[in-house]
Amino acid sequence: MSKKMKASLLGLGLVLPSFLTLLVLVIYPVTISIRESFQDEQDNFSLANYVYIFTEPLILQNIRHTLFVTVVSCIFVLAIAYFIAIYLRFSKSRISRWMNKLYFIPMFIPGVIAVYGFINFYRDNGWLARIVGEGMVPPIIYDVKGLVLINIWFNIPFTTMLLVAALESIPNSIIESARDAGARKLHIFTKFIFPLSYRTMLVAITFLFMGMVGSFTAPFLIDRNAPQMLGVSMQQHFSVFNEIGQSSSLAVFMFLLCSFVGYFYIRSNMNNSKKDSF
Amino acid sequence: MTMYRNLKKFALGVVAGVTALSLVACGNDSETANASDVTKISLYSTGSQNVEAFWEKVIPMFEEENKEIDVELVFVPSGTGGQSTMDRIIAAKKSGEDSEVDIYEGSLADMIRSEEEGGLFYTLDQENIPNLKNVQEENLNGTNNLAVPYRASSVVLAYNSEKVSDVPNTADELYQWIKDNPGRFAYNDPSTGGSGSSFVLTTVYNQLPADAMNSQDESIMEDWDKGFDVLRDLAPSLYKEGVYPKKNQGTLDLLANGEVDMIPAWSDMALEQINKGLLPDTIKLKQIEPAFTGGPAYLMSVDNGVDDRKKAAEAFLNFVLTVDVQEVVIDQMYGYPGIKWDLLSDEDQEKFKDVSGGYRIFNGGELGSKLTEEWQKEVATQ
Repeated sequence: MSKKMKASLLGLGLVLPSFLTLLVLVIYPVTISIRESFQDEQDNFSLANYVYIFTEPLILQNIRHTLFVTVVSCIFVLAIAYFIAIYLRFSKSRISRWMNKLYFIPMFIPGVIAVYGFINFYRDNGWLARIVGEGMVPPIIYDVKGLVLINIWFNIPFTTMLLVAALESIPNSIIESARDAGARKLHIFTKFIFPLSYRTMLVAITFLFMGMVGSFTAPFLIDRNAPQMLGVSMQQHFSVFNEIGQSSSLAVFMFLLCSFVGYFYIRSNMNNSKKDSF
Repeated sequence: MTMYRNLKKFALGVVAGVTALSLVACGNDSETANASDVTKISLYSTGSQNVEAFWEKVIPMFEEENKEIDVELVFVPSGTGGQSTMDRIIAAKKSGEDSEVDIYEGSLADMIRSEEEGGLFYTLDQENIPNLKNVQEENLNGTNNLAVPYRASSVVLAYNSEKVSDVPNTADELYQWIKDNPGRFAYNDPSTGGSGSSFVLTTVYNQLPADAMNSQDESIMEDWDKGFDVLRDLAPSLYKEGVYPKKNQGTLDLLANGEVDMIPAWSDMALEQINKGLLPDTIKLKQIEPAFTGGPAYLMSVDNGVDDRKKAAEAFLNFVLTVDVQEVVIDQMYGYPGIKWDLLSDEDQEKFKDVSGGYRIFNGGELGSKLTEEWQKEVATQ
């Protein structure tokens, strides 16, 4: 056996386990739900489920609501996390050193516990209301504001971590030499820092979008009853109304949404690796 | 070289460990082989966490008395796809296989479905289950001898007695109270728990003839409008002008925090939480007229065609109807007993005087989930 052949067999062998896992745990179930989404109750081919999700006002509202919450949360998370990351990268103060140690703590708090803590804090007669006085706080629980707020809370640590890593990889020498040449802070940011961390932001957006668009626990416990996030609506169609086909078509729709965002991520990665190899 | 030797040592250690483990496993195998007269059955149950805690107490009691039977509990929390157990039984029946479900805790709708599918459950009689004679007769109605109604509970009003002086006695008085006290009443999203769904159901069916609750005819859906009008009309006077918390516990939390003063709640959940101090003792329960829905929980013996397991399941069903277990129903679950009241102690009978107003049973089967779907479109989105 030639050396090249051996190497390619080894490569195949290394990829195979993860590919098989993917096949059994992802590709197979996805195929099933795609098939189910095109079936009516008698298992005949039908587009009824898609007609339902794109004409039923309830679902259309849910789709708009989901996109609104996801996009708004993404923008907030990215802006705040980027700001924190810049601060952590360039400030050498004691506060920034402490923040550096502490900012990812929320990642280690289990989701449901965090949500209940959040509810107890922001409820109409919760901790916050007791501190600043009842009636002074706008409604946060059972409201879109609360959902966006907890999305931000959940996602800032991971996004900050990604961005800090990207900013750390910008060599100090670049910034110092630019400063020597007389560049101002704004210039340094727009000409060096932003372009060099832009790709990581794209990665972060992909993760944020995918995580939030299909989220369940927080929307289930914090959001209003209508319109709902698609994750909640899908669960309701599946296990309360027993409409397997409709929930499958919702799942396929969500899958398409995510792959649309994923496409930009993959394309950007491809461009990058092409640049690397030439 | 030392690294290589260490690696070899490590590999040997792993081999030795695995061998030892497999020997231990063999040992276990031969033990169970000796005790091959143990019959294993599985109980599929669903509900809130109090149901799971109940079975975790009752099953060891049963196994203590019946060493030759081993009961495995498979618990599916409510709202997480209990329907799938029924689908599994039906699928097994169609393909002639063993569903591996021996006892199934289900509803009247499941019995109707069983008839449609050509019989999924064994017929039960007093010869095999002598304690069936203890069961309250009215609970046996509609079961066609397919199920054991072993406990019951009902949705009732739970209210804060410090804040509410004029407690409603009838449904109409309740609707008026809600309008007179805006923001002080909440019911949970009916797709997430039975107390909210009972409020929606009884409100809709209060506008219809009394026997409508026993109809499974889909044409009745046209008459729901009047009830939905009432619900839409109430919405602006509810908690936060129409916020419906999730799950039965969602409204109980609001009541405990004092954000609302009155909610519909399951009698067993509320009684349990009052007794454990999770709800303040100013919370009182009351059944109104016409009553909210409630009803027995049913246990069915699934027809898998295996005689040993059928006998074991019958022994278990018989055990559930003993006074011992029924006292667990009362003391631990705060549920209504499945057996006749006069078989219980005076003290236990006393415990239920607040909620003994009874309940109505909804026999609409599939219409229940249709109603929830309609509610989501008609009431939640307004």
